[in-house]
Amino acid sequence: MRPLDETETTVVFEKLFKFVGNNLKKIVENPSDEGPESTPGSYCFRLQKNRVYYVSEALVKRATNISRKNLVSFGTCIGKYTHAGSFHLTIMSLNILAANAKHKVWLKPTSEMSFLYGNHVLKGGLGRITDSIVPGDGVVVFSMSDVPLGFGIAAKSTQDCRKLDPNGIVVLHQADIGEYLRDEDDL
Amino acid sequence: MGKSRRKQKVIPPPQLPPDVPDEDIEFSDEDLKYVEENTEYARFVSRLDTAAINKQCGGRVKTVEDKYEEERSKKKTLQEEKGNGEILVDPVDVLPVKTLDGKLHYRTESKKSKLAEADTDEAEKDVLDDENLLNKSQRREKAKKSKREAKKHDKDFPNEILQEEETPQAAVLAEVKEELSAAETFENKKNKLAELGMLLLSDPEANIKSLKEMLDICKDENTKIVKLGLLSLLAVFKDIIPGYRIRLPTEKELEMKISKEVKKTRFYESTLLKAYKKLIIFETKSVYNQIANRCLCTLLEAVPHFNYRDNLLIAVVRNISSPDEVVRRLCCSTIRSLFSNEGKHGGELTVQAVRLIADHVKAHNCQLHPNAIEVFMSIRFDEDIGKRDKEDEHNKKYKKNNKRKAQEEQNQVQENERKKSKQEMMSKIRDEVSADYRGVTYEPDAKERRKMQTETLSAVFETYFRILRNTMYTIGERTEENPTSNPGAFGSHPLLAPCLDGLAKFTQQLDLDYIGDLMNYLKKLASSSSVSNNTKQKNSKLLTVSERLRCCLVAFKVMRSNLNALNVDLQDFFVQLYNLILEYRPGRDSGVVLAESLKIMLCDDRHQDMQKAAAFVKRLATFALCFGCAESMSALVTLKTLLQKNVKCRNLLENDAGGGSVSGSIAKYQPYATDPNLSGALATVLWELSLLSKHYHPAISTMATTVSNMNTSQSQTFLSAVTPQQAFADFSLVKESFELKNESRKLNKRKRESLPEEAKNVPEIDMVKLSKKLKENFTILRDIKEDKRVRMELQSEKKKPMKKQINVVKKKLKNPKSKKKI
Repeated sequence: MRPLDETETTVVFEKLFKFVGNNLKKIVENPSDEGPESTPGSYCFRLQKNRVYYVSEALVKRATNISRKNLVSFGTCIGKYTHAGSFHLTIMSLNILAANAKHKVWLKPTSEMSFLYGNHVLKGGLGRITDSIVPGDGVVVFSMSDVPLGFGIAAKSTQDCRKLDPNGIVVLHQADIGEYLRDEDDL
Repeated sequence: MGKSRRKQKVIPPPQLPPDVPDEDIEFSDEDLKYVEENTEYARFVSRLDTAAINKQCGGRVKTVEDKYEEERSKKKTLQEEKGNGEILVDPVDVLPVKTLDGKLHYRTESKKSKLAEADTDEAEKDVLDDENLLNKSQRREKAKKSKREAKKHDKDFPNEILQEEETPQAAVLAEVKEELSAAETFENKKNKLAELGMLLLSDPEANIKSLKEMLDICKDENTKIVKLGLLSLLAVFKDIIPGYRIRLPTEKELEMKISKEVKKTRFYESTLLKAYKKLIIFETKSVYNQIANRCLCTLLEAVPHFNYRDNLLIAVVRNISSPDEVVRRLCCSTIRSLFSNEGKHGGELTVQAVRLIADHVKAHNCQLHPNAIEVFMSIRFDEDIGKRDKEDEHNKKYKKNNKRKAQEEQNQVQENERKKSKQEMMSKIRDEVSADYRGVTYEPDAKERRKMQTETLSAVFETYFRILRNTMYTIGERTEENPTSNPGAFGSHPLLAPCLDGLAKFTQQLDLDYIGDLMNYLKKLASSSSVSNNTKQKNSKLLTVSERLRCCLVAFKVMRSNLNALNVDLQDFFVQLYNLILEYRPGRDSGVVLAESLKIMLCDDRHQDMQKAAAFVKRLATFALCFGCAESMSALVTLKTLLQKNVKCRNLLENDAGGGSVSGSIAKYQPYATDPNLSGALATVLWELSLLSKHYHPAISTMATTVSNMNTSQSQTFLSAVTPQQAFADFSLVKESFELKNESRKLNKRKRESLPEEAKNVPEIDMVKLSKKLKENFTILRDIKEDKRVRMELQSEKKKPMKKQINVVKKKLKNPKSKKKI
C-alpha cells in the first residue's frame, strides 16, 4: 500500500469531481471518529494492487502492520486502475457519491429493474431530475424512495430532456448495485 | 233685393248741415215756445260734444297705424316725463297695473342695465340647475328654456332696439361690460357653456359650430372657466362621438358631386374632427395636469375606436409613472380597462400600449413606479396562441393530402363527380359567406388576433427580461461601483416585484428555450446575498430577502406550470430557501411572501428527498421558536405537512439521538450547513416541539403537541386543510384575539378542527370592572393631589401668621408640660 502520487491524485479527484462537485472538499476533509484517539482524524486515499481505497488514517496505521500479500482490502474501495492505466470508479464508491452528489436522478419503480440489469436510463423511466445538468456530468441514480441504485454519466442536459421522446437515453449506465450479484468475483 | 243692396252699399254717414255760425241762426217763435215748454227734455242738447260728433262723422276709418302712433306718442310723453332712464315695456307682454288712485302704471325698465337684467334673470333661473353641469335631463330642460327665452327676447328686442337705435349702442355696451362684476361674468360664462353644451347634445348636426365657441372659452384666462370648459367639452364629446372612425374625404371625393345630406354629414364630421384634434392638442400641452389628464383618460376609455387614439394613448402612457398619485392611478386604471375591454378597440391598442410601456421602461432604465408594470397583469391571452399555428400546419398538410387523395379518387371513380362538384359548390358558398361576415364584423380576424397577441406577448416578455437584466447588472456592479451611486426615486429595484409576478402568471406562454435562461437568471438573483465584506457600504442595490424569496417562488411556479411530464428538482432554489429562512427578520421582510414560498416549495411538492425534507423540518422547528405567533404558526403548519408526507422523517420525533439505522449517510447533524442535503438532519431529534408545547399562545401549543404525537405508522393520511399562508394571516398581530389567562375563548377560523372550540367567556365585563376600578383609583389619587396642592397654597398664604400661631401653640404646650414637669 502506498499513498497516491500527484498524477494519480488528480485523476481520482477529477473523477470524483464530476459527481460531487464542490463537495469534494467534504469528502477529503471528512472527520472520522474511528480509532482510539479522541481527536478525529481524517480520511485519505491509498493505493493497493491497482485499487484505490478511501480509508481513515487511524485504520491506515493499523493496516500497515499487515503485509502486502495478506492485505485484501481496507476501508472503502472507490475504484481501480485498468491495465491500460485509466481509472474507473466502482460501485463500492456509491455510498460516498450518494451522500455528496450534486446531480441526482430518480427512477420510476417500473424502470428500476431495467437499470439494475445494467441498461441505460431512458426518459420514460425518469421520475425526477435535478435542474441544470450538463451533458457529461456524473449523475447518481436513486429510486423513488431515495435508495441509491447506482451512477452514470448524463447524456443530455435537463432542458433537452424535456423535449426528448420517451425512448431517449438520459443517463449512460456506469455502475449499479446489481453488480454485487452479477460481478461478484470481480470486485 | 233691396236688403242685399243695402248691405252691399256702405252707408255713408249723414251729411252735415251747412256750417252756419251761431249768431246768424234765427229762431222762430214756435220753436222758442216749444223749447220753453220742454226745458227738462232739451237739456241734453247743451251738453252735446260737437267736436266728438264731428270727429265721428269725419269719414276717417281708424287703422292700426293710428293706434300705433297713439301709443308711440304716449310713450314719448311718458319718457319725457320720467326722463331718459326708463323704457316702457310693451303692454303686450306686461299688463299695466292700476293703482288705487285709478292711475294706470305701465311697467318700465331702466335702460342701462337692461342687458344685465335680462342675463341675471336667466342666471337666477339657471343657478338652481347649475350645480351639476353634466346631468343630461337637466341640461335638456335648460336648453328648452333658453330657447324659449331667446324667442321671447327676440320679440322684445325689436321693440326696444328700435328705440335704442337712437342712443349709441357701443357706448352702452361698454358701460354694461364695465359695470358687470367678475362674479357675473363667471356666471355668464358658465351659463354660456351650459347653453352650448345643451345645444350640441340636443341636435349635434345643426349646432356643430358651437364646439368652436366652447373651445374658445377654454382659452380664457380664468382657470376655473378653463377647467369647467374642458370638463364640459369632455362630456359633450363623450356623447357626440359616433361609433365609427371618421375618415376625411379624399380629394377625389371632394370633387365629386354630392347630395345635400352627404355634404351635411361631411361638414359635421370634419368640424367634429377638427375640434377634437384641437382639444387633444390643447390638453396634451395643458398646464392643468389633473384635469387634462382626467379628460384624456376618460376619452381614451370611452372612445378607443375613434381617430387620434394614438395620441391619446401616448399622452396617457407618458403619465403612467408620474409622481402625482391621482394622475398615475387614473392612467393605470384606464390602461387596465383598455386591456380588459378589448372588444372596443379590436386589440390594436393593447399592442400599442404595451409597446409604449416597454419603450418607456427602456428609456427610464427601469426606474419607474411599480404600478406601471402591474397593468400587465390585466392582459389576457388566448390559451392556444401557439397551438393554433401547429394545428394550421397540420391542417394544411392534411388538406394537401386530402387533395391528392381526392384527385386520385376522381381519376379512378367518375360516378362521384357530381357529388364532388356539389361539395365544392357548398364549400365555395361557405367561403363567400364567411368572407362577407368577416368584412362586416368589427372583430379582427382570428389570424390577425393571434398576430397581435404574439406581438403583445413578445413586448411584455421583453420588458420583463429587460428588468431582470437590469437588476442583474446593478447587482453585478456593486463590487466595482463606488458607494455614492444613488438608487432611483422609487427604490433600487422597484419593478422587480411586479415583473416576477407577471412572469409567474404568463409562464405558460413562454417557450421552453427561454425557460432555461430564465432559470439561470433567477438562480443568480436568488443567490445574491446581502452579506458583503465592506460592512460600511450601504448595500441598497442588493436584493432584499423578500425579493430573493420571490425569485425562488417564481422559479417554482414557472417550473410547475411547465411540467411536461418531467419533474425537475430545483436544488439550488431549495438551498436558497434553506438559507433564507435563517435570514428572515419579521419587521424588515415580508412574512406573507415567506408563507407563500413555504407553501409552494415545500407543501405542494410531490416528492421530497428524505434528507432535504428532514433538514427543512428541523430548521422550521428552530425558526418557530424564534419569532412571533404568525411565523411560528405558518412554520408549524408546514412542518406538519412535511411530516405527514414523508413517513421516514417521523424518526425525528423519536427520542433517538444519532438516528440509528435510519439516519442516512451523514452521521451527525450540522446545524449551520448551507446545503439541506448535507445537514444530516435525519440524525437529530425535534426537541423544539416540547418547548413549543409550552408556548404562551394556546393554538401553537396545541399544534406542537399534536405534531409530536404523530406516530410513525403508515396509516396516517389525514392532511390538514390549513395552508401556511392562512396560518400566517390568521395569527398575525392584527388579529390578536385572546387573553393570556383565559384559556377559554372563541377562535376565529372554523377550519381549526383540531383545536377546541369553547364558549366565549365575557371579557367585556372584565373591562368594565377594570375601568371602574381604575377610575376610582385615579379619582382618589387626583383628590389626594388636589388636596395637597390646596393645602400648600393655604399654607403659603397663612405661613407667617400660622407660624406665629404655631409658636404660640407650642409655647402653650410647652408651658403646661413644663408645669407638669415641675
